[in-house]
Amino acid sequence: MTELTKLFNAILTGDNKTAIACTQQAIAEGVQPMELITSQMIPAMAEVGRRFESEEYYVPELLLSARAMKGALALLRPLLAASGTQPVARIVIGTVKGDLHDIGKNLVSSMLEGGGFEVVDLGTDVTPEKFIQAIQQHQANIVALSALLTVTMPMMKNTIEALKQASLRDHVKVMVGGAPVTREYADSIGADGYSESATGAVAVARQLAPVS
Amino acid sequence: MRLLWPVNWRLFRNEAHMKREYYLQLAAGGLRLPIGIDLVLHDSPDPQRILRDGSLLGEVVETAARRYASPLAVPLMDLTLEKEDLLRILGTPEAEAETFHFGEAPSEGALQLVRDSSRTPFGTRGQAHIDSVHYIAGKTALLPVGMAIGPFSLMTKLMADPITAIAMAGMGMTPEGDASVLLAERCLELAEMAIARSLEAQIKAGAKAIMICEPAANIVYLSPRQINSGSDIFERYVMRPNLRIKKQLASAEVDLIFHNCGDLVGLMVEQFATRLDPAILSLGSSRVLWEDAALVPKDVVLFGNLPTKKFYSDDAMPTSQVEAMTLELIKRMRAIGHPHILGSECDVLHVPGAASAIRSKVEAMLTCGR
Repeated sequence: MTELTKLFNAILTGDNKTAIACTQQAIAEGVQPMELITSQMIPAMAEVGRRFESEEYYVPELLLSARAMKGALALLRPLLAASGTQPVARIVIGTVKGDLHDIGKNLVSSMLEGGGFEVVDLGTDVTPEKFIQAIQQHQANIVALSALLTVTMPMMKNTIEALKQASLRDHVKVMVGGAPVTREYADSIGADGYSESATGAVAVARQLAPVS
Repeated sequence: MRLLWPVNWRLFRNEAHMKREYYLQLAAGGLRLPIGIDLVLHDSPDPQRILRDGSLLGEVVETAARRYASPLAVPLMDLTLEKEDLLRILGTPEAEAETFHFGEAPSEGALQLVRDSSRTPFGTRGQAHIDSVHYIAGKTALLPVGMAIGPFSLMTKLMADPITAIAMAGMGMTPEGDASVLLAERCLELAEMAIARSLEAQIKAGAKAIMICEPAANIVYLSPRQINSGSDIFERYVMRPNLRIKKQLASAEVDLIFHNCGDLVGLMVEQFATRLDPAILSLGSSRVLWEDAALVPKDVVLFGNLPTKKFYSDDAMPTSQVEAMTLELIKRMRAIGHPHILGSECDVLHVPGAASAIRSKVEAMLTCGR
C-alpha cells in the first residue's frame, strides 16, 4: 500500500514527480480521491501556507508546492467529476483589464485550489465582459479580482459595476486583492471580501462560499 | 527656492569617472527627487504622441526636472522598451510585445539575430527615449540620465512562469535537464544583449548616468531559502549579468544608478551596494534605509524611499503621513550620517481620478520641513 503521507510530503517539498507518482499509485490501489484531497493535499497546502506566512517559505516554494498539488489534482479531477463530487465553491479569478501582472493572482489561484475550490483562471488583462461571460458559463459563486497597479485598480470598480449591469451582482460574491489594494478601497468599491495575502484569500473565500 | 547642490555636473568630471562627490553633494545639499515624469507627461492631452517623439519627450523630462528643482534629468521609467525592441528584432509586432512570452527556449538562430542587431534601428518609442536623452544632453545643463530595465527583470517578462523556472534552477536542475531552466537562461541571454544595445545607444546619445531598474530581482522570484541553502541563483541570474552591465557603463565613463523597489533581503542590498558599486542605490519602501545604510558603502548615495505607490489614496496615505514619513526619513538618515537623496520608491505614476491627491503629496514631500 502507498504511504499517503508521501503525497503530503511531496506537495510540501514541491516534488512534482513524486506527487504524481504517489497519486497514481493510490488511485490504482483504490484510495478514494476525496480521501487523498482531504487527508493529504489540503493539509499539505495548508502547511505550505503556514510556512509562507511565517517566512519559512517564499513565493518560489509556494509555487513549486502548488505545481505538485495541481499535478496530483489533475489525476483526481476526472474521478471526482465521474462521482459527482462538488467543490467547496467555484471561483472565477483574473487580473483586471489593463494589468498584466499575474504573480499574486497565481498565488491566490493556487492556494484556492489547494483549499478545495474549483478555480477558473482567466489570466491577466481580463475585461469586465470576460468576467461576466465566465461567471455565467461556469456558474461561479465567487469572482476574485486582482490588480497590481494603482492605475488599474479603478478597473475593479468598473468590473463590479458591469456585474450590476448584467444583473449578476446578487448571484456572485466579489473578492479583491493586490499590492496597492486596501480594505478601505475594497469597501469603497463595494467588494464583499478583501485579503492582503494569498493564504488569507482562502479564508475569505470560505466565508463567502455558499453554505452547503 | 535656493539650490543647495551643485547644478553644473560638468565640473565634476574627471578622466575616468564622474566623481562621486557630485552625487554626495547633491545628497548633502538636501536634494529631494520624486521620479515624477509620468505626472508631467499626463499634463499633456496626448501622452502617446509625446512617447513617440524624442524632442517632446525630452521637453517633458526637462520640465519634470525643473518642476522638482533637480539637476538630474531622470527619464520616464518605461520598462517595456527593451522587450519591445528585442521582440521587434525577432519579428514580433510592437502591439504583441507586452503580452508575448517565449513558449520554448529561443533558438540559437534567434540569439544570433540579436547578436547581429547592432545596426538595426530602434522602434519609434525606443528611439524617442534615446532622442530624449540626446535632447537633455544637447539642450540643457541638466545631467542626462538614461534608463533601462535590468537583465533579470527583462528575462522575467519574456517567460510566462519565470518563478518556477528559477526555483527549479535553485533546486539544482540544469538547462540540459529541465526545459524551463533552459528557457530562463536563453531568455536572460537575450535580455542582456537587448539591454547592452539600448545602453550603447543611450550612451552615444549623451547619457552620463544610467538607471538600471531591476525590480524583479527580489524575494518573490528568488527564494532566500534556496539562496541560504547554497544555491547560486542570485549570483548567476542577477549579479553576473548586472556586473557585466556595470562594466559596460564604467568603460564608457557612465555612472550606474541602480534601482530595485522589490522586496529584498539584506544580502541582496549588500551585494548591489558593494559589488555593483552604484553612484546611487534606489530602494523600495519595504526597506528601512537607515538600517540598510550599514550594508552600503559611504560613497553610495541611498535614494528613496517614500511609499509613493500609495499616494493615490488619502485613506492609505494621507498627506500628514507623507509629511511625517518625509521628516522622519530625513532626520534618521542625517543622524546616521549616510548620504541620502529623499525620493520616491519608484516611478510616481499618474492615476486617473487621483491626480490631485498624488500631486499634493509629491508637493508635501518636496516642501515639508523646509
